[in-house]
Parts: sequence; C-alpha cells; structure tokens
Amino acid sequence: MDYTISTIAWIVLFPFFAFVINAFLARKATKIAVIISCGAIALSSVWALRIFKDFIFGNYASDFYIRKVFTWFDLNGAGLSFNVNMGIYIDNMTAIMLLMVTVVATLIHIFSTYYMKDDMNYGRDGRFFVYMSLFTSAMLGLVLSDNLLSVFIFWELMGFCSYSLIGHYYEKDGAGNANIKAFMTTRVGDVFFLLGILAIWTNIGSVGFVEMYAAIADGVFTDPANNVFGISLAAFAGMSIFMGTIGKSAQFPLQVWLPDAMYGPTPCSALIHAATMVAAGVYLSLRIFPLLDVAGLTPLVAWIGGITAFGAATIALVQTDFKAVLAYSTISQLGYMVLGVGVGSYNAAFMHLITHAIFKACLFLSAGSVIHSLHDHHTHEHVQEMPRMGGLRHKMKFTWFAMWCCTLAIAGIPFFSGFVSKDRILGDALIQALHNKVYIVPAILGFAGALLTAFYMCRMMFLTFHGEPRDKELYEHIPEEKFSWNRNLPLLILAVFTLGVWFSGSLTGQKLVKVASPEGKLEWFSTLVVKPDVNKFKTYTSEKWGNTDTRVKGIEKSHYDPKHGMTNEEEIHHVHQVHVIGAIASIFIAFAGVFIAYMMYIRKSWNPGWWVSTFSGWYRALQNKYYMDDLYIKGVIQKGLLPLNRFLAWIDMGLYDRYIVDGWAGVSKVFYTFSKWFDDLWVDTVMVDGTGASVRLFNVVLRTLQSGKIQFYFIMIIVVLAGYILAL
Amino acid sequence: MFIDIMFILSALLTLGGAFGVVASKNIMHACIYLLGSLFGVAGLYATLGADFLAAMQLVVYAGGIIILMLFAIMLTGGHKEAVNKFGLDKIPSMGSVKTFLIGSFSSLIIGSVVLKIIASIINSHDGSGKLPEFSSSVEKIGTLLVTDHVLSFEISSVLLLGALVGAAVISRPRKQ
Amino acid sequence: MVSLPSFLFVSFILFLAGIVVMIARKNVIAILLGIELILNAAALNFVAYTRFINNNLEGHIIALFIIVIAAAEAAVGLAIVIRFYQIRESIHIDDATQLQS
Repeated sequence: MDYTISTIAWIVLFPFFAFVINAFLARKATKIAVIISCGAIALSSVWALRIFKDFIFGNYASDFYIRKVFTWFDLNGAGLSFNVNMGIYIDNMTAIMLLMVTVVATLIHIFSTYYMKDDMNYGRDGRFFVYMSLFTSAMLGLVLSDNLLSVFIFWELMGFCSYSLIGHYYEKDGAGNANIKAFMTTRVGDVFFLLGILAIWTNIGSVGFVEMYAAIADGVFTDPANNVFGISLAAFAGMSIFMGTIGKSAQFPLQVWLPDAMYGPTPCSALIHAATMVAAGVYLSLRIFPLLDVAGLTPLVAWIGGITAFGAATIALVQTDFKAVLAYSTISQLGYMVLGVGVGSYNAAFMHLITHAIFKACLFLSAGSVIHSLHDHHTHEHVQEMPRMGGLRHKMKFTWFAMWCCTLAIAGIPFFSGFVSKDRILGDALIQALHNKVYIVPAILGFAGALLTAFYMCRMMFLTFHGEPRDKELYEHIPEEKFSWNRNLPLLILAVFTLGVWFSGSLTGQKLVKVASPEGKLEWFSTLVVKPDVNKFKTYTSEKWGNTDTRVKGIEKSHYDPKHGMTNEEEIHHVHQVHVIGAIASIFIAFAGVFIAYMMYIRKSWNPGWWVSTFSGWYRALQNKYYMDDLYIKGVIQKGLLPLNRFLAWIDMGLYDRYIVDGWAGVSKVFYTFSKWFDDLWVDTVMVDGTGASVRLFNVVLRTLQSGKIQFYFIMIIVVLAGYILAL
Repeated sequence: MFIDIMFILSALLTLGGAFGVVASKNIMHACIYLLGSLFGVAGLYATLGADFLAAMQLVVYAGGIIILMLFAIMLTGGHKEAVNKFGLDKIPSMGSVKTFLIGSFSSLIIGSVVLKIIASIINSHDGSGKLPEFSSSVEKIGTLLVTDHVLSFEISSVLLLGALVGAAVISRPRKQ
Repeated sequence: MVSLPSFLFVSFILFLAGIVVMIARKNVIAILLGIELILNAAALNFVAYTRFINNNLEGHIIALFIIVIAAAEAAVGLAIVIRFYQIRESIHIDDATQLQS
C-alpha cells in the first residue's frame, strides 16, 4: 500500500461520504441509507486491516512511524510564521486503534440494523445512521491526525455527534437535558484543551505531535523563559490538554455527563462508550504522554484515574438500571486507563483502551439485545430496570454467553483480555507505589476498584440472567432468542476477542504461564506499542504530500526487548517479582468479587439489604452519585454561574444598554434638536425660503422696470441720466 | 441790427412752433407746427452764418421728412379703438393731462440738469457775441466732407441706403 | 443779443418741448415729431458752439450728419409705424405689446 494522504484519507472519507449522502438520502430511502452507512464503515475497516497488516506484521521497529503533511494555510508575514499543517501520523498505536475503531464500529452498525429497525423506520428516518457515520468518521480522523489542531476539530465534531445521538429520543424528558449536559460538560474540558493548543502553538509555532516531541527533547517546554502564568509551559499545556481528556473521557470531576448519555439508543451508547468518544480522550492523553511526563503531571493523572476508577465503581454498586451499571463501569475502566497513563504504563493503558473497547462494545450490544426484547406491553417502553429482570438466560442464550465472556473480561479473570491489560496497569501502579509514596493511594484505589468491578459486574449478570424471573408477565412476553446475523453475530465476534490470547501470547501477560515462545514474538502488543522516545524525534523530517515514505528513517528495525530496556538484572528481577505479586493479587481480588456476588445474589447467603441498612448514609450518597450532580447544579451553576450570568446580563442591559446605548440616544437627541433647529431656521427659513423671497423681490422690481412701455423706459433714461450728471 | 431782428424772429418762430407741437390736439396740426419750428431753426442757422446748413434744413426737413410724416399720418388715420387688449380705456392718442404732467415733470428734471450744465457757460460768456464776417460755407463744407470727413460721409451714404432699403422692406405688406 | 447764451436758451426750450412731446404723446408719429425737435435742438447747439467758440465748420458737418440721421430715422421709423399699423390697425404706443409676455 502506498502511504500517501490521498490513499489513507479514504479511511476517513468513506464514512464521511456516507454521512453526506445519507444526510440527503435518509428520508427518502432509509434502507439504502443503512446499506451505505454499513458498507462505508466496512470499507474503512478493510483499509484499516490493510494498514494493521502492514504495520503489525511488517516487522518494523516499534517506534517506526509515517507522517505526511500538507500545508493547510500559512500566516507568514509581520514577524509571524504560522504554518498550519494538516496531515496524517501513523504508528503502531494508530494502526491498532484504526482497526479497533473500524471493526467495533462496523459491528455496532450491523447490530444497529437490528436494534433500530422498529424505531420509526431505521432510527428516525435514518437520522441515526447519518450521525453514526459522521461520528465514526470523526473518530477515525482524530486517530489519524498528526497535530493537535485537527485532533481538536475532530474532537468537537464528535462532541456534536454525541450531542445529536444522545438526544436521539428527543421527545423523552431526560434526553434533551442529557445531551445538553454532555455537550456543555465536555465543553468545559474543550476550552482548556484549546488553551493548551494555543500555548503550544505560541511557543513552538506548530501543533504537530512530532514537532511537539522534538520540542520536548530540545527542552523548549521546560525552559523557564516560556513559563505561562508562572508555571512551566509543559505543566500548563499538559494540564490544559489533559483537561480535555478529563472532559471527554469522563474523568473526575467532569464524569457527570457519561451516565446521562445512556438516554441515547443503546448502539450509540456502545459507540460512545467503547470505540469513539471516551476512547478519544485516553488516546489523546497517550499522545501527549511525553508532555505529561516531562511536566511531572503523572502523579496528578494517576490520582484522577484512581479516584475515578474507584468512585465510579462504588456508584455502580447500587445502580438498578441495566445501562447505568455499564455506564459507571465505563467511567471506572476509563479511570484505569488514566491511572495507567499516570503510572507510566503506556503500553498497558493503551492495551486496556483496546480490550475495554471490545468488551464494553459487546456489553452494550448485549444490553441492547436484552433491552430490545424486554418490551413492556403496558407502557410500550423497553425495560431497563434490573429488579424486573432475572432468569433471562433461558430465553436468550447467545446474549447470555457473550455477556458472560465480557463480564469475565472486565472483572479481570485470567485468560480474558481484561485481565491482561488491567493487571499490567495494576502491576505498574504497584511498582510505582513502592518507589514513590504519591502513587500509593491510586494503587490502593485501583486494586479496590478491581474488587468492586468484579462484584458489580457479576451482580448485574446474576440479577439479569440468573435466578427466578421477578416480573413474570414481562418474562412471558420475551420472545425466544433465535440466532440472527445482525443481532447475535456481532456479539459473538466481539466475545471471541475478549480472550486474552489475542493480545498477549502468554495469556496472562505476566509470563506466569509461558504458552508462547520465549522470544516473546507473540507479545506483539507490548513489543510494538512503546512510549515515544522524544530524543529520536529531534531530527525528524516531514514530507509534503508524501511522495516517498518516511518509514525506517534513521530507525533500525528491532525486535522485542524482553528486558523492557532495562539493563540492571536486579531491577528486572524486582519488576518481575512485583508484577507477579500484582498478578496474584489481581486474580485473588477478581475471584473474591465474583464470589461475594455469588454469595449475595445466587446463594443469597449474605443479604445485600444488611449492607444497605448498615451503611444507609453511604447508600444514599452512592445513589445520588456522591451528590456531584447536585453540587454542580446547586453549587456551581446556581450559586456561581447564574449570579455571574445575572451580573453579565446586568452589565449588558443595566449598564451598557441603559447608560451607553440610551445615553448615546440622549446625545443623539440633543444633536437632533440642534440640527432640527439649524435645519428649520437656517437652512429652510433663511436659505431656501430666503432664496425664494429674494427671487420674488427681484421679480417685483424687475417686472416693474421691464414694463414694456417705451415711454417709461425713456423716463428711466432721463432720471438715470440726470442722476448720473448730478453725481458727476 | 438785421441780425438781431432775424434772430428774434427765427427764435420766436422756433419756440412758437415747438409750443404748437406740444400743445396742439391734432397730429396734423402738430406736424405743421413742427414744420414752422424747423423753419425757425433754419433761420437760426442762417443767423449763425450756416447758409448751406439752413438750406439743407429746409430741403431735407421741410421737403422730405415733414412730407413723409404727413403721408404717414394720412396712411394711418383709420379706425382707432378706444380700449386696449385688456379692455381698459386707452390714454388718448395725443396725450392726457396725466401724461402731460409726467412729461412736464421729466422735462423739469432733465431741464434743471441741463441748466446746471449750461449755467456756467451762460454766466462766463461776456455776451458780446461778435459774429465774424459772413462768407459762404458751401465750398468749405464740401471740401471738408470729401477730405477730413470723407469716411463719415461715405458711412452716412451707406446709412441712408440701408434706411431706404430697410424702410421699403419693413413697410412692405407680408404675403401670407 | 445774438450771442451763445441766447442760442443755447432757444435750443434748451426746443429740447424740453421735445422731451414733453415724447413722453406725453401716445401717438407714435407724435413721438417721432418730439424726436425731431430734440435732434434739431442738438444740431442747433452744435452750430452755435462752432460759431462762437471754435470758429470753424466742424459743427456744420455734425449738424449735417444729424440731418442725415434724422432723415434715415424718420424713414425707418415711419416704415415701422406703417407696418405696425398694418398689423394692429393702430398707432397707439400702448398697443405695441407683442413683445410683452
């Protein structure tokens, strides 16, 4: 494959063209629109597969990348040199990400044809697929972007699409508020993101990742001369851009929008929670990881990740809504990814992003499959409440199977993908905690969250699929699940990829069980995704429109280094030891969570009600999401923003309108009065009428003189002659 | 002595004719009075020794102009309307008291002015108007006319021709 | 007796008579008569002055030209009068209103 922008851009353009075509076609021919949308994303996944094959099986070095740029516009002159380049940046991470996004999005699209079929002719006259295509297109564009500016553009495009999709059922009460909430909350982060972009742009004159890495290597970001507001540029820009991640990936304290996002159709929730929206935030924080690293922000990131991972997991414990549990589990897992970034576990964080995308997409699609079947014949609505479910495994076996696979994956049971990735994060957190006291709390929160994750996921599964049906009438109406290509096939495909073997040859990732060859050749993930070494970007070259590949430019092909780049044998041993301890702890914790859930909800030996009554204060706090919504609405918005709003309105209306605008009106009035007086008296009366009067006067005189009587003329001659002579 | 008598007679004739022109009610009479006044002027010329001029006065004025005027008076002596085009009464052709008052006032103004001019001459003149010897001026005038004043002479001839042609053209009735 | 002031006096009276006739009369021909009187007064002045002051014949020449001009004027004027009469059937000066608007 020839890697130029014009060939790579198709991966973005297929869904985009689908969006453009469907935007006009959707109302007329919804079936064709659906086919176009699904076909476009499938074509994109073919492209992505090709790129994936080239990169992953091409045996290139782990830090090999391709970058093609073209100048979008330049603002040269007046001492400024702003070349705004747009382009693509593909490394191994991009290739993996592209494949994940396209494949997951394709499966979600396919599932959507099942889920949205009854919803007013494929989702409000195909509107659903219009936004799905644009959403996917924007995510792919973000993944391919080589600079922060185009990341921001696609980022905002995704914000708009999520807004539209969350508000898909706009006639529902909560949907309209939910999409505004999602949009505005992420906007808080986006403002900081833009601020960070501008800070970088101002100081290094470019926003490309490669230029940014090179500048980091040159020490531009840590140069005290570039301090912003007294803090170093790296800290300012890193924190600002990380605020974008906090907003987009629903990290503490901006996590409030994501649970409300489940007002959208379930496939769109799957897309938001798995492949696109929230993944974008973590992807961005991985891209700026060298910046966070050099700024020393990693402990803060780890804290935020740990708090989010644990806090969201605790809230998920008490949720009764099927999708709400999944939403909080998403926040929790995103917290793990951010924790991974914070503890420097670059590879594991990214792996968790991929594995989470797969099993969370599967979970949401399964949830959609369940909810779609549970149709309440009294209210004509789909049922999402877990207290009305139970015993569903007899009715829907395929969904049950797929969902169990994913639950085990997210719970961190060995041999599943979630264990591989989450365990590495926790292991690295443990190592960091042993070396640096700052990381102790995030590590503990991470491990505690893992326990809770296993518990609440199994609780959800037990409440939903096991036990006796609690709502008999509802249960009777559930149709028996038959295998269908667009309902079950996506679930099963995704379920297959929840196995850890796809990501780690050693199944566990910790080499406890060395199934793969000892050379680690099958450890492709940790081999190929490595922290970008900024020093190698010092002599980067970017090419316009990419006539030639930049591959293997100054970077030798290399094989996996089993020593993680460490030379000290003792240190490697230590790391290995800690990893083993972490892995054992993870396994123990995961099984403990499952066991507690089993004891509570299957055996019913332990009564959950006892916990509720004992910790009733905590229970209420959890049910109210730690009162953070209330805090934001009552505290920040009502106490802070509304008075500010009123103050600004007062400035606008009370001050500006009253004094400046009306005052200007008064000044105009004075001018008007004077000019009216001038007009009336001087111009009209004196000049215009005066001209007329003088003409009339001369007219009278001249008419009298010009009488036409010759003898009168003669008298005049005489008089004038006499006067003339007398004057002499 | 003879000269004095001749001057007085001529002056009386002149002024009497002028008064007749002013005062007469008939245009024909006024024309005849004018003839008398012109005769008087001719006499005054003769008194001043301008024999040729006196002759010219008689020939041209008495023989030409007055006859012309008499013909004109006779040619235009037809029907006369008493009202003008606005329907107002016209002033009588030979003038009314009002017009004569206006004319008298105007002549008073110009007369006082002229008097002011000639008063100095009258005052400064000693009154001993000693007339030189009389001699015929015909030859001298003829010489002057074709020497010094030949241009004026020629121009006057052209003027006369133009007047002749112009009068003929103007008075010719238009063919419709 | 025969001196410049006496001639000037005659000429003066003659002139005033011409003025009065010109202004008072409404008959066009009468106005022409007044003009003749004025012309004669002027010519008389010329001749008197040239006789008593200059002692040459220049005044005679001027008087001669005045006579010529008077003749021309009379011819043209009377032609106009006759033409005017043909058009308006009147020689009243107030009837000459064609150029008034």
